[in-house]
Amino acid sequence: MKFWLQGCYELYTKEIKDSFLSPFVYILSASFILLIGWIFFSLLVASKDITQGSLTTSIIAPTFSMMRFVFMFVCPLLTMRLLSEEKKNHTIELLYLSNLSDWQIIISKFFSSLTIILFMLALTLLFPVILSLSGYSDWGVVSSSYLGTVLLSMAYISLGLFTSSLTSNYVISLIISIFMMLGLWFLVLSAATTSNYIVGQILKYFSDVYHYEHFVTGALRSYSFIYFFSFMFFFLFGTHQSLGRRNW
Amino acid sequence: MEYAIILDKISKSWPGVLALDEISFQVKKGTIHGFLGPNGAGKSTTMNIISGLLPPTSGEVKVLGQNVQGLQNETQKFIGFLPEHPPLYLTMKVRDYLEFVTKINLRKQDYKNFDVNKCVQEIIERCSLQKVEGRLIGNLSKGFRQRAAIAAALVTNPEIVILDEPTVGLDPVSIIEIRELILSLRERHTILLSTHILHEVSLLCSDITIINNGRILSSGPIEEIKKTFTLGRVLKTEVETWSDDKKDYFFNQFNIDSLDINKKSNSVELTFYLKDMEDIRTRLSSDLINMDCGLLAFSEEKIDIESFFKKITEKDNLNRI
Repeated sequence: MKFWLQGCYELYTKEIKDSFLSPFVYILSASFILLIGWIFFSLLVASKDITQGSLTTSIIAPTFSMMRFVFMFVCPLLTMRLLSEEKKNHTIELLYLSNLSDWQIIISKFFSSLTIILFMLALTLLFPVILSLSGYSDWGVVSSSYLGTVLLSMAYISLGLFTSSLTSNYVISLIISIFMMLGLWFLVLSAATTSNYIVGQILKYFSDVYHYEHFVTGALRSYSFIYFFSFMFFFLFGTHQSLGRRNW
Repeated sequence: MEYAIILDKISKSWPGVLALDEISFQVKKGTIHGFLGPNGAGKSTTMNIISGLLPPTSGEVKVLGQNVQGLQNETQKFIGFLPEHPPLYLTMKVRDYLEFVTKINLRKQDYKNFDVNKCVQEIIERCSLQKVEGRLIGNLSKGFRQRAAIAAALVTNPEIVILDEPTVGLDPVSIIEIRELILSLRERHTILLSTHILHEVSLLCSDITIINNGRILSSGPIEEIKKTFTLGRVLKTEVETWSDDKKDYFFNQFNIDSLDINKKSNSVELTFYLKDMEDIRTRLSSDLINMDCGLLAFSEEKIDIESFFKKITEKDNLNRI
């Protein structure tokens, strides 16, 4: 096991070094924090005029909901190159011929992207600090929102990794990822329009938005954990199958 | 005879395309074996199959007596592979890249005791990469990039090294340097070298395999193959005058397969392709003198590898039509 993890670690550190040595991650992180920061600041200013509700409903919940929307673009931008660029540059052959298994390649790439997402999320920790200065103390909701965002990112990364394994063109990978994520979002809208209760519930269950909203409101549901982990496993398994074909 | 690689009736097909059609050949241990063929002949597909990157549709590949299909990720123990497109990370420094390749190729039993730095230093010295070890691969010349890719293929110290068109796209100086590097590898490794530069084969290889349209045309020592495919002697003469009526006389007198006539400003160059190896040099030169052709030069042509390769692939293409 230690040897297996060591192999993952070698590829993971290479990926992290590559990412943090390129300006792409910094540009993406800066754009992300500027956008989310601007939304947070706008909500903070607007909250002065809100007489009903709490800071949780007027600032925390909308900020995290917006973060989910932004991650629908940030995650595919991060993952689009993971395997497609390796295919395009033929470096995937180096990995295939090495001692690394397909799972080791997938896990290393997955965690390298997750590290970058965590780096971006760390930048947003300033928001709760600002809120604490105004006496905000509902840290349970903040923690569950962050937990939900991490789980959502993990799901999006696994989806992005899967689409990246399908093609050597990262623009195609990006487009497929975004459309798949939009499709999941539209499931909630479809659920709201259907008159059939059961179909509505099923559609809701398959949408990431439905589960994510639980976390943002501080309601941790076991089936939401199951949903996110199943989502991740499904797409990571799909990536494994896709890499296994190797008929380039 | 000990063989490093044995291919037995290997076929590879994709929907609608038969890339390899039951090819079989062997590579002797300790040799540089040339794998020749025009573009699209199936060279890279064959090499990918030998290295374990691609599974064959049917047939068997044995590397040092072991079946490649059964080895899965273990082939790197025996094979160092430089694919057609060198797998280089352009944003990495040469030393970092070689260290990374060494680490991801470490075997479980070597993991604790293996000295990665020592191994990388040795490879850097063998491939003369000392000058550029601290530079980004993306900033290197093509020649040095190719050296780095060859170095990566050698990090596991494999018994067999497969090089897929290692000199393609390089300038003449880099080509010579890469050839010297390949020759220096011969002492420690069996090398399978794919190329369509025929001159390279004659300089480096002792044995060759020729592939065309996914089929093996010939395989064995270069000289034997030349003998097999050369039908007869080739005699080249230069005369002052020549007329077509003399042609019939020579065709009647000698066992000539074909005659090439190349008119120059002050002379005519005649190339006689004979049907056999009979020595007719004395008789032919006398007849050329007696018929007042004005013999200026007479020599026997050694068929070079380019014309010989052209001859056999053309013949195969014609057979297929």
